Amino acid sequence: MATPPDSPIEEVVYELEPTRLPKPIPVALDDLCRQTKFTRQEIRVMYRGFKTECPEGVVHEECFKDIYAKFFPHGNSAVYAHYVFKAFDVNCNGAISFRDLLVTLSTLLRGSVYERLRWTFRLYDSNGDGCISRAELADIVAAVHELMGRRAHHHAEDERVARDQVDRVFRKLDLNQDGVITIEEFMESCLKDEVITRSLQMFDAPL
Amino acid sequence: MASVAAWLPFARAAAIGWVPIATHPLPPPPIPKDRRKSEDEKLLINVSGRRFETWRNTLEKYPDTLLGSNEREFFYDEDSGEYFFDRDPDIFRHILNYYRTGKLHYPKHECLTSYDEELAFFGILPDVIGDCCYEDYRDRKRENAERLMDDKLSDNDNQSLPQLTDLRQKMWRAFENPHTSTSALVFYYVTGFFIAVSVMANVVETVPCGHRPGRAGTLPCGERYKIVFFCLDTACVMIFTAEYLLRLFAAPDRCKFVRSVMSIIDVVAILPYYIGLGITDNDDVSGAFVTLRVFRVFRIFKFSRHSQGLRILGYTLKSCASELGFLVFSLAMAIIIFATVMFYAEKNETETNFTSIPAAFWYTIVTMTTLGYGDMVPGTIAGKIVGGVCSLSGVLVIALPVPVIVSNFSRIYHQNQRADKRKAQRKARLARIRIAKASSGAAFVSKKKAAEARLAAQESGIELDEGSREEDIFELQHHHLLRCLEKTTCPEYPYASHPCVQDREFVELDNPYNGAPKRPGSPSPLASPAHSSHSRAGLLQACCGRCCPQRYQQACGKYIPATSAVQSNQTGVGMDGTYLVEASF
Repeated sequence: MATPPDSPIEEVVYELEPTRLPKPIPVALDDLCRQTKFTRQEIRVMYRGFKTECPEGVVHEECFKDIYAKFFPHGNSAVYAHYVFKAFDVNCNGAISFRDLLVTLSTLLRGSVYERLRWTFRLYDSNGDGCISRAELADIVAAVHELMGRRAHHHAEDERVARDQVDRVFRKLDLNQDGVITIEEFMESCLKDEVITRSLQMFDAPL
Repeated sequence: MASVAAWLPFARAAAIGWVPIATHPLPPPPIPKDRRKSEDEKLLINVSGRRFETWRNTLEKYPDTLLGSNEREFFYDEDSGEYFFDRDPDIFRHILNYYRTGKLHYPKHECLTSYDEELAFFGILPDVIGDCCYEDYRDRKRENAERLMDDKLSDNDNQSLPQLTDLRQKMWRAFENPHTSTSALVFYYVTGFFIAVSVMANVVETVPCGHRPGRAGTLPCGERYKIVFFCLDTACVMIFTAEYLLRLFAAPDRCKFVRSVMSIIDVVAILPYYIGLGITDNDDVSGAFVTLRVFRVFRIFKFSRHSQGLRILGYTLKSCASELGFLVFSLAMAIIIFATVMFYAEKNETETNFTSIPAAFWYTIVTMTTLGYGDMVPGTIAGKIVGGVCSLSGVLVIALPVPVIVSNFSRIYHQNQRADKRKAQRKARLARIRIAKASSGAAFVSKKKAAEARLAAQESGIELDEGSREEDIFELQHHHLLRCLEKTTCPEYPYASHPCVQDREFVELDNPYNGAPKRPGSPSPLASPAHSSHSRAGLLQACCGRCCPQRYQQACGKYIPATSAVQSNQTGVGMDGTYLVEASF
């Protein structure tokens, strides 16, 4: 007996979900060891954690956001996690495989300052047009502030602080004051700034 | 947090994105003192022989549990290098899975209490049970709790028997539970009898017996034997009034009693009589008086105190109120609809019975309940069609809520049956357990005596023929403890006739060491006959074995062989009589 179309109670039919993605090609430990600058043991530990959280072998954005949220329990990490996910997802298919993750991590944690700055530029440039506009920078700054969490009564003050920060950074990075930051301007101004280069070198520490 | 420790490098990498917009320079990272933290090691957990292995990091995900904190070091076995737990391995599997996957599942085939105990042992709160299993867990926990509460309540009822001294409380208990004393039972049957008599009298009153003198028509028995029925009625009403007043006096909460259903029924049952006393045989109000007599039929509801089935029925109807309401409502709707249609269909028919819509109600009701008296019949074709549809729909509308009501009744009835059965089973089981405990307690006492006998024998240099047997150090220490207690409480140098010694015997036999007291006056536990006859002698030398060796000597020959039958694993001693606590304890 088929349910009539306007019955008050809907019948819920559970269909078995088809697998979301084709099974990813299993990665070989040796290949990864060669392609990245991590040791075998480090890769092993990271893969174990990866596989526990994502048994399918790829990270989807929701899962990514959950994991990131565990590190920042007080704030709202969804926005920043979204940007980071996009920056990690090199082939833009909505899922990060372990190989992609490891390769990017290798450039970030074991790479040179140039590579790190290049990745940061890609992170800020959300629409991928090759230059960072003021709006994009403001989005990133807002996302980072969201990580800290919102204070209930200091909303306006927080916004003012964020806006000041955006103004200051944009002024510093935009060398020719044309309203956008190209990658050359970005690299040049960051490398000239000692604070930034020293901070970047903090990430050289071992895992 | 440690569950995503492997993702920490990724989070740190993502933090590179903060660098260009940072207002202050970032702090340097911490330098780990040793590399051991990054290397994980596997721990071996042995639970009753089944070995589980896992990473240390997995266990330390939840540092507020036994396995995640250094509480597990208490269970570390140096010799085998593993953590040994003497617990259920099947349930431990689920607990370990909690560490591995972060979700705690509840296995449906396990007993809830044993599962709870394991969780409590390992320091895990049941709140972390996953959503998939939580409902089931909660439902079973609630069932268990209700059952325990029922048992406890019934226990309290039984145990409160000897403690009521207040007259009111005694009376109230007698009213509520007729089986508690003979007078209550008598009262119960008397009231039941009078209710039956009263109802029968009401019924028989209206039976015709004979003719009216000088007039047409039959004479009902009530008018022929007016005096008899009046006396009967008076007697019944007096009994009912007395009962009501007594209940009112004994009730612990009078206001609540007055508002309860049963007391209202009582009042309504006896009120017509008193009102009738006040009214004389006046034609004006005799009509009203006759109406009042109808209320006498409410006396039949007084039987519900006497019948549990009636009470269950009443309770069922109360609990199915919504279904009954639905039934009544839908019937009313259908009746109105069909009556209206019928009326308009039959309106133009000559000499029709369907003179108005309310008149058509009667036809609709009779048809829908499939009674079909035939006093009102449709004449037109349209009317007949409507009548057919009406009877078909009647069957459906009535059949729908009935199974719900029936299943409710069945559930409540069976619940009641189960409660009674459980009570009876529990009584039998407790009696058996008590007997078993008493016999084990007696066995312990005899073992203790034998140990002391051996000790005394050693001290006085008497040799035993039993060879050398080893004794359990714990048992020895336990016996020693009890002897210390005896020595503490027994005030003077014990002689056989000292009341302390004799009392001691009584106390020991009545209170087996596991604590359950026996009722005074009940027979001795099922000990071997030899033991019971020699226990007196045995106790004598328990206290004085060391002090009066000669007494022991004469009793020893009788004592030892008798009790050796009771003990199965006692061995001779090779000790020097000192009871130093060993370091292994």
